[in-house]
Amino acid sequence: MSTTTFIRNEDLKGLVADLKAAGVGVAGPARTTDGAVDYRSIDRFEDVVLDAQPRTSLKQFFLPPTEPLFKYRREGSDVAILEMPAVQPPRVIVGARPCDAAAVEILDRVMNWDYKDEPWFARREATTIVAFACPGGDRSCFCTTVGLAPDSTRGSDLLLAPAGDGYVVEVVTPKGQKLLDAFPKRFGAGPGVDATKAYRDKARASVDGHVPGSPEVIRQWVQTHFEDPFWSEIALRCHGCGGCAAVCPTCHCFDIVDEPETLTEGTRRRNWDTCQTALFTVHASGHNPRHDQCGRCRQRVNHKFAIYPSRFNEVLCTGCGRCARVCPAGQDVTEILTRIVAMATGQGGAA
Amino acid sequence: MTELRELARRLLSEGTVNAVLGWEEGPRGARPAFVTDAAGADRLIFDPRCVHNLAAYLSPRRPHLKQLGKVAIVLKPCDAKAVAGLIRETQVPRENVVLIGVRCGGVLADPESTEPLSEATVADRCRGCPDREAKLADHLVGTAGPGFPGPSHRAQKVEELAALPADQRWAFWQAEFEKCVRCHACRQVCPMCFCERCLADKTMPRWIESSPHNRGNFAWHVARAMHLAGRCVDCGECERVCPEGLPLGLLTRKVAQVVADRYDFRPTDDPAVPAPVGTYRMDDPQEFIL
Amino acid sequence: MNVYQPFRMRIEERIDETVDTRTLRLKFLDEDVAQKFDFKAGQFGEYSVFGAGECTFCIASSPTRKGYIECSFKTIGKVTSAMKDLEVGDVMGFRGPYGNAFPLDKMQGGNVVFIAGGIGLAPVRCVIWNVLDERNKYKDVTIVYGARSVGDLVYKRELEDWGKRPDVKLWTTVDPGGETPDWKGQVGFVPSIVEKAAPAAANSHAIVCGPPVMIKYTLPVLKKLGFTDDRIYTTLENRMKCGIGKCGRCNIGPVYVCKDGPVFTAAEMARLPNEF
Repeated sequence: MSTTTFIRNEDLKGLVADLKAAGVGVAGPARTTDGAVDYRSIDRFEDVVLDAQPRTSLKQFFLPPTEPLFKYRREGSDVAILEMPAVQPPRVIVGARPCDAAAVEILDRVMNWDYKDEPWFARREATTIVAFACPGGDRSCFCTTVGLAPDSTRGSDLLLAPAGDGYVVEVVTPKGQKLLDAFPKRFGAGPGVDATKAYRDKARASVDGHVPGSPEVIRQWVQTHFEDPFWSEIALRCHGCGGCAAVCPTCHCFDIVDEPETLTEGTRRRNWDTCQTALFTVHASGHNPRHDQCGRCRQRVNHKFAIYPSRFNEVLCTGCGRCARVCPAGQDVTEILTRIVAMATGQGGAA
Repeated sequence: MTELRELARRLLSEGTVNAVLGWEEGPRGARPAFVTDAAGADRLIFDPRCVHNLAAYLSPRRPHLKQLGKVAIVLKPCDAKAVAGLIRETQVPRENVVLIGVRCGGVLADPESTEPLSEATVADRCRGCPDREAKLADHLVGTAGPGFPGPSHRAQKVEELAALPADQRWAFWQAEFEKCVRCHACRQVCPMCFCERCLADKTMPRWIESSPHNRGNFAWHVARAMHLAGRCVDCGECERVCPEGLPLGLLTRKVAQVVADRYDFRPTDDPAVPAPVGTYRMDDPQEFIL
Repeated sequence: MNVYQPFRMRIEERIDETVDTRTLRLKFLDEDVAQKFDFKAGQFGEYSVFGAGECTFCIASSPTRKGYIECSFKTIGKVTSAMKDLEVGDVMGFRGPYGNAFPLDKMQGGNVVFIAGGIGLAPVRCVIWNVLDERNKYKDVTIVYGARSVGDLVYKRELEDWGKRPDVKLWTTVDPGGETPDWKGQVGFVPSIVEKAAPAAANSHAIVCGPPVMIKYTLPVLKKLGFTDDRIYTTLENRMKCGIGKCGRCNIGPVYVCKDGPVFTAAEMARLPNEF
């Protein structure tokens, strides 16, 4: 069991103020201009909104929608390369959802697969994730199916769960401990983990059982049903908008582009991309190996539930359900997975 | 609903069409449905949660018409304007689609909503909408509520923005476009964005930078709004789909107003009305040319 | 320096192969990098023109020839068009080497058959030079190379060299109608010339690169000659961005072309879903 401590609500506000005073960037779920809740930079803890799932995930803090990889400058026939800073400014994310924190750790695998993705890890090292145990989700949440839970500590440095007039703080990593040590006055004695049990149980009950099967059953079916008519059936509805990938905490596919800024200078950038578009795989010759939406819908499920597990022994999905919430055509991942489980266990086929 | 299901069943069982595009009950509310057999007609629903503009599935960029052959599609009056647009721009052969109009008195903002349709829950674009049924339809079913009075909040916001000094308007859009991640979902769901190869996807030359920074984002959203001038039917799908919540309807609405003021064109479900972009009249305002 | 930052390379030489194909010889600007750089036949890299972007090609030169690398490309997209406009002395970028390689250690002591079509000779040429530079390690070397027309044959000077060597059996061919009056080679599609050349399958490995349709009809010929699927190699191309297993673009079913490939045996190819 990890060590625990306690932070009172007032001290949480104070902690954010302390961090800001110390020049540390703070981000958390807060209202956007259009009234939604999303992770963004915050000035004070009072702006944090904890009772709604943020619209997008934490990945933007580690893999920004666009980031410069380096800049170049032509000098006659020569070219000078200007490197990007290897160290990122410190940041604390307060109020992360456990599913979003877990996603970041899941992505560490691919980002360190033989080649280390320095821009990713520079941000990882500079960022401390303070997660808050999730109050529970809606019908598209299924974190418990993929081995997580509303209160799982994966990827978090500290995990807070409400009790009394504050939060029980679980110290998950040395980085979390470091935060505690830096602001010791903000933490102190209080109720123990037991006091949060009712809260945690209620949250778990709200997400349990939405996909009645295991990732292993899903993986085996997906691996052996590349040509199944199921894929074209679900693709019929899909607009190929890629909204699912944009809000997904684990979708990490990217593009690399050069953008000249003057005749002699420019930037090579990395931008978010998605397997849901035709452009993703089309060759310069015009040939497109993944030529229809059927293949693209399959690829997203395949990558998450078969390819990633076969490489890294874990599912590339945290069960956050955002893809279902964002889909303009009502495609629901829990429905897709439930159908797959049913087909895998011989209880149903393509409708 | 019975009327709709019976009609769909008849069209399918008589072989008039191979599929009916409509709405069904999904895990999270109403969603698009593709019914390919008479027995499936009972899946079809129509209620105020049916906000989606299904005309997007008829776009030549999509494989549905090629894959399914002749289809029937269920349309609200506003959706019918998009179909009329596709026919007007020779993208959908009229004889390949059977149009089932549903009478409509407004829909909800959110297809997942469980609230009754009311002044508070109605989709903003339905405020002030005078259309209760699609004149273009081959069949009309259902009954319509009285509708909701305008103006829409969006129309008001457009006026508010227009009244702002340029630098404040600039700051407003700067802050909004800042959020865009350039997923191009707005384009993908748009029934009128049917280009085989979008301007934003062209690389030789690269007209619009693909990176989600404000330079590229401005170019993209302004270009898209301009390309929809006189074509956008104000179905609001771009705004509904946006994963970052950009108020894209403000742009298309503004452009639509300019087109209405200067060229006397408003989105209509009559495909015979010529598109303002495709017609030239001697008295067209053109003082901006010289 | 992050993993996406390229080495700077100076263009030493430009060789025009066909009307739209060119070979560039590139030297590392940084002497230290040049000394340390090593690769294996079959590996690829991300070549870039600053301001235009990156493009994936195999390294077309042989690892036995140190100090430079070569790439051959067809002018078709944005980056290759920009590469075409570069002059000798200009600087471009290179990241690599990435991916797996042809298993030359397994081929040593036996016969090697090279079969290529069109620009598909580029990855094969790398292995050919590697084998010829260590000629005593291999037995018979057979090369069958074809293109649509005489004008489309790449590496013409090298074809001439290989043709003169007594220790290489070279068959060049052009598609029917692609010949010129003074064409001395074969006329016919690559698969039928392979059948005619009939290289022995015993103790042999074959490397086949070219357009998908050529590969499709060559494989049955090789099987007929007695080559087993695990002794036939090819390289796959898929759209790539990172080249190092991160950007998610080059999946064919479960396979990452950039990490598991680009070299695959015919047996491995047969197990892949039809997504390439």
